[in-house]
Amino acid sequence: MLNIENLQLTLDGWPLRYQMQIDTGEIVAIQGISGVGKTTLLNLIGGYLMADSGTVKWNQHPINSLPIEKRPVSMLFQDHNLFEHISVLDNLCLGFSAAAPVDAIMDAARHLGVDEQLAKKPATLSGGQRQRIALIRTLLRPEPIVLLDEPFAELDPSTREKAALWTRAQAKLAGKTVLLVTHQDEDVERVADRKIILS
Amino acid sequence: MRLHWLAYPLILSLTSLSFYGLISFGDEGFDTALLQDSYFYSILGFTLKQALLSALLSVGIAIPIARTLYFFPDLPAKKLFLTFCLLCFVTPTLIVITGLVALLGRSGFMTPWLDSFFNTFMDNSWNLYGLSGILIAHIFMNMPLAVRIIYLQLQTIPDNSWKLASQLKLNQGQRFRLIEWPVLRSSGLLLLCFIFVLCFNSFAVVLALGGGPQSTTLEVAIYQALKYDFNIPEALTLAWTQLLVAGGLYWLITRAGGLSWQSVESNQYLWRPKHNPASTRRAMIIYALSWCVLLLPYLSLLPGLFNSELSGKDLRAIGHSALISVALAVIAALLAMAAAFALLQPIRQAALGAQVKRMWLYESMATHALVAPAMVLSVGLFVYLLPRIDLERWGIIFVVILNTALVIPFAVQKLKPRLLQFDQQYNRLARSLKLTRATRWQIEWPFIQEIYLATLGLVLVLAMGDVAIFSIFGSPEWTTLPWLIYGYASSYRITEASTASFILLALCASFLFLLEKYTVSRPTPIKNKTPGRQPQYEGNTHA
Repeated sequence: MLNIENLQLTLDGWPLRYQMQIDTGEIVAIQGISGVGKTTLLNLIGGYLMADSGTVKWNQHPINSLPIEKRPVSMLFQDHNLFEHISVLDNLCLGFSAAAPVDAIMDAARHLGVDEQLAKKPATLSGGQRQRIALIRTLLRPEPIVLLDEPFAELDPSTREKAALWTRAQAKLAGKTVLLVTHQDEDVERVADRKIILS
Repeated sequence: MRLHWLAYPLILSLTSLSFYGLISFGDEGFDTALLQDSYFYSILGFTLKQALLSALLSVGIAIPIARTLYFFPDLPAKKLFLTFCLLCFVTPTLIVITGLVALLGRSGFMTPWLDSFFNTFMDNSWNLYGLSGILIAHIFMNMPLAVRIIYLQLQTIPDNSWKLASQLKLNQGQRFRLIEWPVLRSSGLLLLCFIFVLCFNSFAVVLALGGGPQSTTLEVAIYQALKYDFNIPEALTLAWTQLLVAGGLYWLITRAGGLSWQSVESNQYLWRPKHNPASTRRAMIIYALSWCVLLLPYLSLLPGLFNSELSGKDLRAIGHSALISVALAVIAALLAMAAAFALLQPIRQAALGAQVKRMWLYESMATHALVAPAMVLSVGLFVYLLPRIDLERWGIIFVVILNTALVIPFAVQKLKPRLLQFDQQYNRLARSLKLTRATRWQIEWPFIQEIYLATLGLVLVLAMGDVAIFSIFGSPEWTTLPWLIYGYASSYRITEASTASFILLALCASFLFLLEKYTVSRPTPIKNKTPGRQPQYEGNTHA
């Protein structure tokens, strides 16, 4: 279980406070108006921001004092998810402590329609293709907690639906605990078990 | 403690030892009487005058050339011209001096025309030696640098600004005032300061083309005070004066943000306003003249080369010196690149943590050798080591060490933007992916490889051109090519000097162009995997 207990941070003079519990294997959508602190929450869990007080616990163990590299987290950022100077396949194979699951990567790439792009450099791809590739790696990595910051923002409606359904299926299959930031209600309906609206 | 932290004490101790050597020698302090001497003020005045004029003229001439390059993107051989500008800046000073002497010296190719011109209009004959020669050499070396910087600054203007200006039907003056001037103003003053510092610390040009005591700068006066009079207090007073002026200006430059003169050319912005035929013709003339001016000193070496009937002894001397120069420069360049990389680690950490003051402090320490005059460092260390080490025997090692120290700032300045760019774009991702140090390096290397090898070429060429350090620590059996050229030129053996200069130029150009070619043609070390093959990133995380 992921416990966020009275996590507080003042950002640019604006106090933010988070309190929530997410069951293991649960998919939760985080919503709220722009600037309310959705990405900040993901950054706090991932370790990219340090809270002023409060605790983040994973299976009863506090993780908020751990460095980024020690946290059981795989995160998809809003941008800069791929190294531009190495191939897409090289990018997809990063982030695995053991051998990269090439078969699973290939299956996912085929399913999401990016299997033709694997030998290319990310710079030659469209925004939507890049986002799907980053999504594949984020979900296939062995970390139990997955943080997705607007993962479908650049996708057309049909690809968006396909990617959303794949995300849910993959997360459920691997028992991932997912926090998904999105502005779209259809993403919530397709992917999430429930939603939390920050205010 | 990480090993890279050792780089800071190493480079700082070198400077400290140099100043300690000067201060502690014979318990002699400053020569305060010198500060009341008109000799001091005439040297200081001339140093400031020549540096200021060199900077103003270099920037003033560079602006129309850079604007031509910017507004006419399809000029023939434009990329080659920009590379050539870099070569002019890093070319060993003595090549330029030899070229200028062959072109404008007493028996120079253009001297008869210049003489008749001066006799007709100024009632005087042409003389390269003195302020005119110093200015010409400084402009020749620094104007191309200014062209590159201004051109790169102009390239930061987004296409939309020009489109908007066209749509609003702004005239030439309005365009310049509203679009170009804000860009030029931000970099212009910094550029002036930077070139001023370079010319303020100039040694070989003033030594070779100064032509007498009335055209002496602080750097040359320090050399003379030590080499001929062995007057330590005077040298120390001059050295501190030089350090304070040059250091103060450099401090201003770094505080104001620095200059990116070595950035790669960007083709991102390609929309330019249309020009009428008259301005197109004017641009072509400016461009052609620029090529001529930059090529002439090099071309003037050729007749000396073709007419030379060098003795076997001279040929052996040139070959031997060339080998020594290359070997010393390669060692110094490799050491400098390793040191620069180490020095940049704390700077990168500070940048990631948005610790601006700490970053500035580290950067100032890493690049302080840019303002500590080569002559001061060399002499201080020489004085410190003289009673402790057999410098006749081991002096050449200190030529390498000091050369390394002096090219480190250039390596740091050139590598820094690319490494900071990597961190800014990818540090969060790399940490998120829990990459091991080895895997991170595998990712980082292809990203920085091109700039790293280009920097290696640059520092190699800079190290090859040293004269100041060798003049203190060198010995006849280790004579480098620049020192040999200086020897030929100062004894008016222009044919030999031209041949040796041409060989040095060929070596420098080869290093620059070969490393550039190597970086362009060489694929990244990470191979693209075909589906189904075993991935190469097995076990690439900390997890």
